[in-house]
Amino acid sequence: MTPTNATVTEKPLELESGVTPFVERPLGVLTRPQGGRGWRDWLSTVDHKKIGIMYGVSAMVFFVVGGVEALLIRLQLAVPNGGVLSADVYNQVFTMHGVTMVFLFIMPLAAAFANYLIPLQIGARDVAFPRLNALSYWIWLSGAIFLNSSWIVGGGGADCGWFCYSPNSGLAFSPSHGVDFYAIGLLIAGIASLVSAINLIVTCLNMRAPGMDLFRMPVLTWMLLITQFLLLFALPVITVALFLLMFDRLFGSDFFNPDMGGDPLLWQHLFWIFGHPEVYIIILPAFGVVSEIIPTFSRKPIFGYSFMVFSGIAIGFMGWGVWAHHMFVSGIGPISVAAFSLSTMFIAVPTGVKILNWIATMWGGQIRYTTAMLFAVSTVGMFTIGGLSGVTHALAPADTQQTDTYYIVAHFHYVIFGGGVLGLMGGLYFWWPKVFGYLLNERRGKLNFWLMLIGFNLTFGPMHVLGLQGMSRRIDTYSAGFGFEFWNLVATIGSFIIALSVVVFFHNIWRSKREAADLPPPGPDPWDARSLEWMVPSPVPEHNFDEVPTVDGLDEWWHRKYAIDDDGNVVRISSVQSAAQDGSARGVHLPSPSFWPLVLALGLPLIGYGLIFNLWLCVPGGLMVGMAMYAWALEPVDDPDADHGQHHEDNDGDGDNDGSGGSGDSDGELATVGTPSTQGGYE
Amino acid sequence: MSNATLETATVDDHSDQESSEHGPSTGISNTKLAMWLFLGSECLLFGGLISTYLLYKTRRGPDNLPIPTDVFDIPFTSVSSFVLLMSSLTMVLALAAITRGDNFGFRIWLLTTSLLGGVFIGGQVYEFTAFLREDVGFTNNPASSAFFTLTGFHGVHVSLGIVMLMSLFVASWQGKLRPQHAETVEIAGLYWHFVDIVWIFIFTVIYLIPA
Amino acid sequence: MSEAMRTEESRWAFARRLWSTLTLAGFGLLLVGCAADAELDTFQDQGETARQINDLAVPVFIVAGVVLVLVCGALVWLAVKNRVPANEDYQGEFPKQVSHNNTLEIGWTLGPFVIMVIVAVASLVTHLAINSTEANAMEVQVDGQAQTWEPRVVVVGQQWWWEYRYYLSQDITTDDLGDPWDLPPADIVTSGQMVIPAGEEIELIVTSRDVIHSHWIPALNGKRDAVPGLYTPWKLSADEPGVYFGQCTEFCGLSHSRMRMQAVAVTPADFQTWIDSQMKPANLPTNEDSAQGRGAEVFSTYCASCHLVRGLNDADYNGAETYAGSAPDLTHFASRTTFAGGIFNLYNSDYSLNDDQLAAWIRNPNEVKENYANDLADGELPRGMPDMGLSERQISDVIAFLATLGQEPTRAQILATEVN
Repeated sequence: MTPTNATVTEKPLELESGVTPFVERPLGVLTRPQGGRGWRDWLSTVDHKKIGIMYGVSAMVFFVVGGVEALLIRLQLAVPNGGVLSADVYNQVFTMHGVTMVFLFIMPLAAAFANYLIPLQIGARDVAFPRLNALSYWIWLSGAIFLNSSWIVGGGGADCGWFCYSPNSGLAFSPSHGVDFYAIGLLIAGIASLVSAINLIVTCLNMRAPGMDLFRMPVLTWMLLITQFLLLFALPVITVALFLLMFDRLFGSDFFNPDMGGDPLLWQHLFWIFGHPEVYIIILPAFGVVSEIIPTFSRKPIFGYSFMVFSGIAIGFMGWGVWAHHMFVSGIGPISVAAFSLSTMFIAVPTGVKILNWIATMWGGQIRYTTAMLFAVSTVGMFTIGGLSGVTHALAPADTQQTDTYYIVAHFHYVIFGGGVLGLMGGLYFWWPKVFGYLLNERRGKLNFWLMLIGFNLTFGPMHVLGLQGMSRRIDTYSAGFGFEFWNLVATIGSFIIALSVVVFFHNIWRSKREAADLPPPGPDPWDARSLEWMVPSPVPEHNFDEVPTVDGLDEWWHRKYAIDDDGNVVRISSVQSAAQDGSARGVHLPSPSFWPLVLALGLPLIGYGLIFNLWLCVPGGLMVGMAMYAWALEPVDDPDADHGQHHEDNDGDGDNDGSGGSGDSDGELATVGTPSTQGGYE
Repeated sequence: MSNATLETATVDDHSDQESSEHGPSTGISNTKLAMWLFLGSECLLFGGLISTYLLYKTRRGPDNLPIPTDVFDIPFTSVSSFVLLMSSLTMVLALAAITRGDNFGFRIWLLTTSLLGGVFIGGQVYEFTAFLREDVGFTNNPASSAFFTLTGFHGVHVSLGIVMLMSLFVASWQGKLRPQHAETVEIAGLYWHFVDIVWIFIFTVIYLIPA
Repeated sequence: MSEAMRTEESRWAFARRLWSTLTLAGFGLLLVGCAADAELDTFQDQGETARQINDLAVPVFIVAGVVLVLVCGALVWLAVKNRVPANEDYQGEFPKQVSHNNTLEIGWTLGPFVIMVIVAVASLVTHLAINSTEANAMEVQVDGQAQTWEPRVVVVGQQWWWEYRYYLSQDITTDDLGDPWDLPPADIVTSGQMVIPAGEEIELIVTSRDVIHSHWIPALNGKRDAVPGLYTPWKLSADEPGVYFGQCTEFCGLSHSRMRMQAVAVTPADFQTWIDSQMKPANLPTNEDSAQGRGAEVFSTYCASCHLVRGLNDADYNGAETYAGSAPDLTHFASRTTFAGGIFNLYNSDYSLNDDQLAAWIRNPNEVKENYANDLADGELPRGMPDMGLSERQISDVIAFLATLGQEPTRAQILATEVN
């Protein structure tokens, strides 16, 4: 059995004298939920695993939305002088494609992994602030829906590109409400990411299981932690930029209006100070996922753990000093260009270290080609292509030819799709049994993989050629005779192959679920994996760990199954069944569910609509936010009505959200859930 | 909010003790760590706003309209800045009071802190209206847009701080805030000091360094 | 087991064959794709700066290609060599559990670092070279007087066309230009096509009158953004006479894709001829009842509030009533080979005027190149050319008038723009 460090019996929360919980229940439908059943449970849950699943599901929905937009783009460009979309609609579609894929697909998908896996990988029962976690999700979702509602109520999507350069984003050049929705929608989504970043950083730093030193955390947790730090410091910068844009458009200020003395380059600087760390925010989680999958299926530990971690940290730091490489031709002056060109080239070094370490992990390994491993290995290869093309435009002179052409489109899709999406797809196959308790079918999985890899390369590979042949980005059409016809057609065909692969993925989910009834359950550890999440049952019980494990080193779970003898041979010391926990613990303190995060989050889009259409709408929105904050704060710490078999313990109460990503009050939530405890107390 | 604050602190002590015994952690409580992280993020927010102001501070636009620097009343703003600085001192005194269990002293100092903050906000409102009377409006030119945005953001932060302090005051009044909750006060104080320090920067950058 | 392994093995052999076939097919396709006529191809450099860039980029591409082959080769090789069955209960002997090797790590940190230092030095050298301008001067005749001209063109972007301004009689610098909405009068103003003497380094001063655009003639040089309120220096040169295509590359709103331009390089002698003809005002039709005469009348009534034809409406002309305050100067309209922002050919391949296209453009500009010029709100100024509601007769008359403006381009130039 697992070595158990002290089983501290956790008392039901005892309130200090003089403090009586506020237990009136005047709130009708919003009466404190008890959890456990049906859709209301999902609306009120504060369980990091359910929140993670909701992030994942929503992200996949927006993947489909963004994917349909991508297919429209490719249909329009399949042949010269395409007539599928008008120029106006095309500009909206490519803008919303970019915004959706970055902010509404890949970031929340990474957030899904972060939410679900960080507490499990560090041996915690939940995140530090469970209700803030729910708040992050609901705010993000309301921002995402708000952003997309501009198709219906805003007169079309934003038409300024995801980078939304001023002055083209100004009222004079983009008079529809699309850009307003872009600015306010991203502000709302930004609050969500900021709250989530604080929450997850505190979780990583304070909630680790006994013995889980920082340098015993799995690489995935490390990469996610670095990502959260990047978010923490990058989001306020884009927040400033978006506020200034919003003030320009709604209140008539002149920040970006050159006619009035504003400086269009200010937007570019603010946007890319956020925008470049954003690239690492997107890619580092996938690096983490790959760093979990490759060792598992190579049957070897990750090669150079400390170099993997430090190269991640180095990327995180250096990512702040390269933003102006997006502006080499903006006219920022040759000295700045030279400086940023140099810093950009050297960020290739830590990235290269990662790639070589992955290869070294496979070196001498025994490689099992599951779908997850196929995705992970192809991520390394595809990201290498994206990284190398990145080096070619770190050369400022070469970049003057390459920037704003399809070569760049190829580059960042190899990074974001080839690196990010393929990596996270591998992660989905890898952790699917852990999350849902059934394996995705491998045969269909491999079909999904090959279709996606081939479709991806057919779509974005030719774009390298197109870009170097001079095809500009963001053009809604092109003439015959410039040599663009052939490769554009190939790219369009490729994009439909990707779409097909996504259909196969969804089909696989559905079919595997049906077939699972006839198959043996996957058990806690179907892949013979290495980190702590594999020692608990699949799907993970609500309380995560029956007993919080004490950690003795990196790859704790693997070392509970195997030992290395004096000759360096691996010997099994324990079967999975005996080493794993069976999820039978009862009475573990868990945070109580709450509706207030949802109510608070719903107030924000109302304020957004109010700012755009009629300021009076801000009043109910503001009231909702304020009321939810106070109700949240007054909600008793320990729900007196909660049933005692499932003893609830709440961690309370914060109102830290003032809707501006700005200040908040200090009393945060906190959780005791990470503490090592078992409580045997059955009712 | 007050209730929550108290109960939070209760659980807090409990959990911290455990996590420091059993799991590696920073030794800083979750809430306090969250506040530090939040303030780190806020540094970048104000950094962005201050940079914007510095870039634009002399840009009058083609119509050559007045900019805030033309109408600064530095003695007046110096006094209100001094008031805000003093509120940091009274915040320290409030924390000291609750730590030693002096509830009455705590309430007095907390109220003083809120009042000083309120005076500062009143001063800012007066300053804005005075500027508007002298035709320095938000939409004049980039310089005035940047001025009102930066000081306005700061004003909103101070106002939220006052709401927070008043919530603590009410909690204390109801007898729910006790010496063991000193950390909650400390965390509120962190925010309050941060807002003050930011103002020192803003005051120096906007008012004292000549255009 | 062995049976399973064999099927597995043969499946892999098949995969390898498939892969090599696909790779070969891929290279074949690549050749097909590249062989096509590609007027904007960055590798077909025709000017000094573009060549310097390629001299830097091509070796880096090769190094990157080698690294790519090594990395992907290692991946594929390991993938094949170290493969074991994927089934979940595979319980073979574990491989040696190697977890780190610091020497190796330091090696592959320093290795890429050294490569990057070399690349960085090469890049910096080229960067400095393409951003320096040499004091260049050439003799030109202006109004019969010899002048020393430092070849310099002011390039102004607006939605969705480029204006090129030549100041021959004065050495204009950024400081003299002032407000881009109110530039000092130039000796020659042309649009969509920049005529330059071949073999000379031309200094560009790039700016914009509305949103950010980017000026790019790939065969001659990389791009440079045109930022409103900012004058950015850039340069280009063409080795030989010819027509070099360009495209606006910074997203600039609705018709971004239909904002093109050409650099027309001519011999120094032809350049002088071009200057002489461009300096002249328009030759106005003498017969008011001819199609050209009626067309001039139509122009004065409908077009003159935005377009300038020197000799016809310069007395009343006070900038265009558009958002950018500008519209193409049509004094030498017919001397160019493209119109409407460099996107349509002004002449057919038989050297006749492309009057069908021109008529379609005048009939309803928004139809052939989307813009924001019709159905304007109160006080809103058009961006692009509005539909003026001309009758067919008026259209053919005004085309007849426009055809008289300027000296016809050479047949070589007409043929060179055919690809449009």
